[in-house]
Amino acid sequence: MESRPQRLNLDELHQLRWLLGGLLMLLSVATVFYLDIGSELMASVVLLGILVALVAPALPARVPIWAHRLAFPAIVAFFAVDIRITGQLLPAIVRLDLLLLLYRGVCYRARRDDLQIVVLGLFLIVVAGVLTVSLLFAAQILVFTGCALSLLMLVTIAESNEGGQAPKLAVKGVVPPWASHVDWRKLFHRLWDISDWRLLASAAGLFVGVVVVSGLLFMAIPRFQLENSLFLERFITKRAMTGFNDSIKFGDITEITQDDSIAFDVDLSDPAQAPALPYWRMIVLDEYKNGGFKLSAALRSELGRERTTANILGIGPGAGRTPATWTFYLESGVSRYLPILGNFWALRFREAQNVRYSPDMAIVALRDEPAAMTAYRVEGMASDGIEIRDRAFAVRWRKRGLVGPPLQIGFDLSEGDKAAIARIDAAVGPPTSKGPQEFADRVMTYLRRTHPYSLSPQIPEGPGDPLVRWMASGEPGHCELFAGAFVLMARSAGIPAHVVTGFKGGTWNAYSGNYTIRNSDAHAWAEIWDGARETWLREDPLAVAAASDLSQQKGDAAIAGLMDRSWSARLNSLRVFWYRRIVNFDQQSQADTFKAVKEATGNSGKWLRTAVSEAAHRAKVWFKGPWNGPRIARVFLACAGALGALWLIATGRLRLSPVAVGRRTDPVRREAGRWLKRIDAPDGLVAELQRLRYGPVPTWPRPSDVFRRARRAASSSRRRRRASSRNTS
Amino acid sequence: MNQADGSNRRLFWRRVLWGLVWPRRFERIQPTISGVVLIGLSLGIGTAAYNSASNILFIALALLLACLILSGVLAWLNLRKVEWKLEVEPPLQAGQEAGLSLLLRNGKKFLPTYALWFEFAAGPFERREPSRPESTITAKGIDVWAALSKVKSEEQRGTVHLRTRLDPGGEARLDWMFTPPRRGLLKVELRGVGSLFPFGFLRKQAGTDIFRVIPVWPAPVEYRRLAGGSPRRPEGDHRLARVGNEGEMIALRHYEVGDSHRLVHWKASARKRRLLIRQFSSQNSDACSIWMRTDAAVWTRPEQFELMVSLVATISQDLFRAGRLHSTAIDSGARVAAKRLADLESFLDRLAQVRTAPAPTAPYAPPAYPTRTRLNVMTFEPEGTRGVAAIVNGIKTAAT
Repeated sequence: MESRPQRLNLDELHQLRWLLGGLLMLLSVATVFYLDIGSELMASVVLLGILVALVAPALPARVPIWAHRLAFPAIVAFFAVDIRITGQLLPAIVRLDLLLLLYRGVCYRARRDDLQIVVLGLFLIVVAGVLTVSLLFAAQILVFTGCALSLLMLVTIAESNEGGQAPKLAVKGVVPPWASHVDWRKLFHRLWDISDWRLLASAAGLFVGVVVVSGLLFMAIPRFQLENSLFLERFITKRAMTGFNDSIKFGDITEITQDDSIAFDVDLSDPAQAPALPYWRMIVLDEYKNGGFKLSAALRSELGRERTTANILGIGPGAGRTPATWTFYLESGVSRYLPILGNFWALRFREAQNVRYSPDMAIVALRDEPAAMTAYRVEGMASDGIEIRDRAFAVRWRKRGLVGPPLQIGFDLSEGDKAAIARIDAAVGPPTSKGPQEFADRVMTYLRRTHPYSLSPQIPEGPGDPLVRWMASGEPGHCELFAGAFVLMARSAGIPAHVVTGFKGGTWNAYSGNYTIRNSDAHAWAEIWDGARETWLREDPLAVAAASDLSQQKGDAAIAGLMDRSWSARLNSLRVFWYRRIVNFDQQSQADTFKAVKEATGNSGKWLRTAVSEAAHRAKVWFKGPWNGPRIARVFLACAGALGALWLIATGRLRLSPVAVGRRTDPVRREAGRWLKRIDAPDGLVAELQRLRYGPVPTWPRPSDVFRRARRAASSSRRRRRASSRNTS
Repeated sequence: MNQADGSNRRLFWRRVLWGLVWPRRFERIQPTISGVVLIGLSLGIGTAAYNSASNILFIALALLLACLILSGVLAWLNLRKVEWKLEVEPPLQAGQEAGLSLLLRNGKKFLPTYALWFEFAAGPFERREPSRPESTITAKGIDVWAALSKVKSEEQRGTVHLRTRLDPGGEARLDWMFTPPRRGLLKVELRGVGSLFPFGFLRKQAGTDIFRVIPVWPAPVEYRRLAGGSPRRPEGDHRLARVGNEGEMIALRHYEVGDSHRLVHWKASARKRRLLIRQFSSQNSDACSIWMRTDAAVWTRPEQFELMVSLVATISQDLFRAGRLHSTAIDSGARVAAKRLADLESFLDRLAQVRTAPAPTAPYAPPAYPTRTRLNVMTFEPEGTRGVAAIVNGIKTAAT
């Protein structure tokens, strides 16, 4: 008996279509949760609504007709009010999208409605991808594409099953036949039963093909440098999630260190330049007032006016002297101040940015906190960052007392506080002729001796400045207190000093070969002025002597101490790959890729030619060798074997193709033959097995069904035999 | 030689690329609403990508373009190795529903075929010299739109969808019913095969060159038999041999033109040195021979002429079923015996295409009948302005 392959009926097609549409909507709504636009509650409600309608497709019939009539006016009104109140266009559009998806999710859909949910979902995913530049976008867009294509294909097949007519939309309030008796488990069983591994493999292969083709298109699409970029970020305002602003209160940095998420990654073109203990400078805070350090207005003016540029030139050693290129991938929400090690020769963005910068102070500030990952490249940057050359300050220092802005010496404290600091300075001793470094070492030693380190410091209560009170006590403190104390003591001794905030250290990702710096690496330290060398010297009161030695290490020894081979490093390497090869892919990268492909093709051709010529030379040498009996016999046997094989192939006695053409090599026929030998089956099953074994292919019943029944027959006959043997015993 | 090889290779690849881009003959690809949305979306995302230099948007654009490419590949695979064969079962009669079948076969090994539709058309077929192409823009003296509208109005069109999938190696049969409006040569053709598969972005239609030209017999018409109109038994002992006779052999007679060779009695013929055929007891002697004349002078009204042709067809079929149809003739053409079904069908095929003939310069000579036979000859005349009468030996035997 010839059994026809099973197919989904029309109701099952509609159910599957409903399922896929719901999954698409769930996937796209989930992206709102990491957009950080304050719509998480709405997204949760929408998710819940879609999920309920998805699981119980009969429920949408209960939506009253007046709700359908009022839906669109209500959605439009909500959008208008939302824009009016929040004033932000993009979040309002996202919320509008959510409402539309919710409406579509709780209504029965026609073909155009399925298309709508594809477009609405794609909008959410693409916006989330553009704003967050997250690796998750890649996974989401791929899954979304697969589901969307499957949905559209199902819609086409369902329409064809209905004779080319678009499926009639259910009358409002009436449950369509396919939705009235949905059994999802049964549907999945049916899908399993009718699935054909060849079809699934073809579908998977085609999808992989789509991904590969899209990758090739991505690389091949010509890139042009256009101005006026970053258009989406203008429509959304995001605050920095961390405390790296231009004023800090004590404890801000310590709060950041509680967060272990990644702040930025750094690629280094020459790992030999990798320092063991890098200090990533971000902001210089030179004014102490009201118990906190901030960037003074005068120093802020040193940043110059805002410019729109993609290239910043600094005063660093130059690309020739330090050939390493540092590529930073700064995550969103860290700060608008860019972390760098120190003076640089050039800093480049992928596209023009609105920046203010001071090459002398080695500070670069974007206009706004970036809403997405920001990549920039720094060339000619000294990797140790121990000294920061500041020509501008050197000039003012030389002309001090005459004119000019504050010299980062004073502090706005009461006389009593100043006296207290002076007393502490006296305990340390004044600066000597050995230079400010020697004084700094004494101050740091004193601070470490008198104050233990703690992330939860206790500042004694009392009158006066809190930092001075802490200095006078023996309470533990965190890095901000130590740095602040150092600065006050240095200034009290007449040495210019300021606080620097940023990050310290990091780990080296063993898989992607880059630095990974987390928010928990946030740190504050100090810098003092060395007038003789006209540089700022980095002084970290919390760095012990061993750490100071460590900071001098570079290269493999330095990396070895930072190596991270954990699972999180493995996952992070995917993210870095994403940033390197996809997000940061620009015209130069495109040219480099094409060049690399061309070189690889050329090299492989050369390699092949070399290999062939070497093989030919070896063969020639071998042939010229002395011929003896065994050699002649070997050659004779080899030739005979080759000729014999050729003869067998030519006469058809030996088939090279793995695909069976004849009856003997067909795997289905072989399996049918095995079953015929093994089982004692009912006549119908034997006839089908015989048809599979001997009959022509078009008359075959479905082999998987027949073999399944044969397996059942075999197991039941085994049970009977066991039962009969037990009875006889 | 190397230069020639190089230029040949370049030419080859150019042709391949051009073949991918330039649409093939008889093929048409139209974007649907989904396709237009997809194209618009791609343009929008592409514009945003270039405006923002965002690689995320470039990725989205690349995926959309890859989906379009996939759609084309799947559409091509869907139609690949699908064979079809058009079958029309004659006879077709005007005014009566007829059907044509399309046999489909999917020659692929493991990919099914989905969502096809087939466009059929049935319209009058006229044999004429191919005319030069005309354009509605430059046509002079020819109302091309009117001609196209006339063709469209005379044509019947239908679309049949393949509702289930066509499994690899599987076959299916699709039927399309249509009603030929009038007699004549009918051209039924498979105009095209279309599909929206896989995603409904593009409506792909491939034209085919498959058609059949089939004669459509005249429509049956009701008529009334009139009293006294039964055909006269011919004189003499003439018996008419018909194939498939029943009963005992009762006599031998001389061979006459049109007699079946199977009835020849060879022994007796050898003895007599003349062909003799066997006569059986059940032979019918009320035979009738139909002679249809198509003088335009007689049949001045086209509708009356059509009625006459329909009456001839109906009566000839009735007589054949009754076993009384001897032979048929049209105008001065040769008399053709109507012994077998194929003879009747051949006559009906001629009736399908018959037209009024200009009046002859000389009176018609009646068809030659065997000299020893005087058959009932049925002719047809107009009756009034609308009717047609059948006359046998001067007596009206039937009328519409």
